[in-house]
Amino acid sequence: MSHVLEIRNLTKKFGDFIAVDNMTLNIGEGEIFGFLGANGAGKSTTINMIASLLRPTKGEIVLLGKNIVKDSKFAKMNTGIVPQELAIYEDMTAYENVSFFAGLYGLRGAMLRERTEEALAFVGLGDKHQSFPKNFSGGMKRRLNIACAIAHLPKLIIMDEPTVGIDPQSRNYILQSVRKLNEMGCTIIYTSHYMEEVEEICTRIAIVDHGKIIAEGTKEQLTSIITDTKEIWIGFRADGAISIESLQGIAGVTAVRQEENTLKIVSKSEVNNLNRIIQQLIKDQVEIRSVEEQAPNLESVFLTLTGRNLRD
Amino acid sequence: MAIWRIALKEILSSVRNRQTFLFMLALPIILMLILGAGLSNAFSSKHSVGEVRLLYKATFSENDMSAYWDSFTKAIGKEGVEVVPIRPGMDWRQEVSSGRYTAYATIDKDGIAFFGSSKNTVESGILQGMLVAFADRYALGTAAFQASPGVGTNILKHAAESKDFIQETTLVADRKPGSIDYYAVSMTTMIALFSIISANYLFGAERARKTAIRLMAAPISKGEILVGKMIGNVFINTLCVLVVVLFSKFVYHAYWGNHFWLVLLALLTEVLLAVSLGLGIGFLLTKQEGSYMVVMIFLQCASFFGGAYFPIENTEGILTLLTNLSPLRWINTALLELIYMDNIVAVWKVIGLNLGIAAVFLVLTVISIRRREAF
Repeated sequence: MSHVLEIRNLTKKFGDFIAVDNMTLNIGEGEIFGFLGANGAGKSTTINMIASLLRPTKGEIVLLGKNIVKDSKFAKMNTGIVPQELAIYEDMTAYENVSFFAGLYGLRGAMLRERTEEALAFVGLGDKHQSFPKNFSGGMKRRLNIACAIAHLPKLIIMDEPTVGIDPQSRNYILQSVRKLNEMGCTIIYTSHYMEEVEEICTRIAIVDHGKIIAEGTKEQLTSIITDTKEIWIGFRADGAISIESLQGIAGVTAVRQEENTLKIVSKSEVNNLNRIIQQLIKDQVEIRSVEEQAPNLESVFLTLTGRNLRD
Repeated sequence: MAIWRIALKEILSSVRNRQTFLFMLALPIILMLILGAGLSNAFSSKHSVGEVRLLYKATFSENDMSAYWDSFTKAIGKEGVEVVPIRPGMDWRQEVSSGRYTAYATIDKDGIAFFGSSKNTVESGILQGMLVAFADRYALGTAAFQASPGVGTNILKHAAESKDFIQETTLVADRKPGSIDYYAVSMTTMIALFSIISANYLFGAERARKTAIRLMAAPISKGEILVGKMIGNVFINTLCVLVVVLFSKFVYHAYWGNHFWLVLLALLTEVLLAVSLGLGIGFLLTKQEGSYMVVMIFLQCASFFGGAYFPIENTEGILTLLTNLSPLRWINTALLELIYMDNIVAVWKVIGLNLGIAAVFLVLTVISIRRREAF
C-alpha cells in the first residue's frame, strides 16, 4: 500500500511547551485513520500541521510524495479540512458557501457549479442549496461543514470531530458519508471523542498522548496489546458518591472510571480481585445492580495506555 | 481570481448585513438633517432685527445738548427706533427685562449710562452703537466749540443729520457654507472614517466564525486574502459614502463645489486611510474586544474634535493639538477650502497625507500577518 501521508520526526513547540514530540507516522492510501487522544494530547496540533495551518518546528510531512512546506500549494490543493467547529458563513446560502470555498481551490464556471451541486447532494443538502445556514439544524450545519471541504475532491480529508453535538440520525448520515468518501478513493484522517465511532469506521488507529503516538494499529492489533487486562462493569444505584480512590487501591486494578450509574474498572486479568471490589463497594454502602466482565475494547486500551478517559 | 472571489464575498456579506449597511447610510443622512436644521442659525449670517425701543431719562443743563438730543432722536426715529422718555412710576429694570424696551439710557452732564437687554442682544448692540456715536459727536462738537464757537455750533447743528450712526463692515465672503452644506461634508467624512469599524473586524470575524481555518487551508496566499478583503471593504464603504454624497447633493441640495471628482477622490483616500487603520489596529492589538474599544474611542474623539457634530474653532493649547490630530479635521478643512475657495492644493495635500498614513498601517499589517502562523 502506497503512503498518502508520511510524518517524519514531527515536532511542534509553543515556547517551551512541546505539543507534538518527534512523531513519526504513515497513512496509507484508502485508509480511514483514527486519531485518538484526550484534550491537549497533541492531535489537533498534528492535524493543523498536516493541513498547513501551523508550521512544524522540526521534522517533515510528506503528502503524496511532496513536502507540504516546500510544495504548500500542491498539499493544500489535495487536502480538505472539516474543522471541529463549524466554519461556514451564516449570511451566505449553502450553495454560496460551498461554491466560495471550492472557488478558492481554482474551480471555475461549469465545473464549479457541478462540483458544488455534487458536494451538496452528497451530504443530503441538495434541496436546501438556496437556504441560509442560520435556518439549519445542528446536523445540517455539520453536513454543510463537510460539503465545504470536499467539493474540490481532495485526496486527503481531515475530519476533526465532525459529529460533535448532533442528533443520532445526522451522526449516522455523516458516518455513512465518511465511508462513501473513502469508497470514492479519499484517504481520511478522523478524530472523535466517541470511541464507538472510531471503532466502527476507522481501518487504523493511533493513540496520541503528550504529543507522542503511544500505540498504532488496527482495532484488533490495539486490543491485543492488553490481553493481560480485563474490564469489569458494575451497575449501581446512584445514591451517594463512589470512592474511586479506594477501588484504585485494590490489587490488580489499573484504572477506574464512573459513567453515570456504571463503574468501569480495568484490572489485570491474572488477579482475581472481583470479590475485593464488591466487598469494597458494599463497605461503601453502594447498592450493586449488576456485574459483568467485558472483553478489552478500544476504550479500555485507551484507558490502560493513557490512564485517562478520552473525554477527560 | 481568488482575490476577486474574496472581494465579491465581502461585498455580498456587507450588503446582506442590513443593520450595518443601513447604519452607514441612515446615520449620516439623518444626522445631516437633524444637525443641519437644528443648528441652521449658528451658520446663518442673517439676523432679522426686531422692534427697537429706547427708554431714556435726560437731564440737560445746556440748551445745545437738549437740541442735539432732540435732533438725534428724530434721526434715529426715522431709522425705526422708538425713543420714549421714562414716565414717573415706571421701573426701567422691569421694562427692559420684560422685553418691552430694548434698552434704558440716562443722559446728563456726566455722560450717558446705557443698560441693554440681554434678551435682544443684537438690537441692544445697535442702540449702544448709536448712543456711542451720539456721545462721540457731541464731545467733538463741544471740544470744537471751545476752540471756535462757530465751528462747534455748526458741528452740533448738523451732527444729528447724519444717518451713519452705525457703520457695518462685513467679512462674509460671497459664498460660505450653510448648516446643511457644512454637515453634508462633515457627516460624509465622518461616515467614511467609520469604515475603520468594519475593517477592524475583517479578520476578527473570520476568526470568530472559524472560517479563517478554511481560508488558511486553501491554496491561496495570505496576501491574496488581505488584498481581496481590502478591495471588498473599500468598495462597499466607498459606495456608502457616494450614496451619502449624492443624497445630500440632490435631496438636501448641499453644495459640493466645482471640483466634484476631486472631492470624491479625497473621500476615497479617506476610506483607504480608515480601512488601513482598522486593519492595522486589528492586527496590532490581538484581542478583538480591546481592538474594538480602541477603534470606538478613537472614532468618537476624532469625530468630536474633527468637527463632525459642530465646528470647533478658535481652540487653544491641548484642544488645538487634539483637533489637529483628527483626520476629520484635515479632510473637513481641505474639502471646505476646495468647495468654497477652490483651493485644490489643500486637498492634494490631504490626499497625500491619507495615502501616506494608510501605507504605513498597511505595511504594519503585512508585517504582522507574515509573522503570524494563522490570522
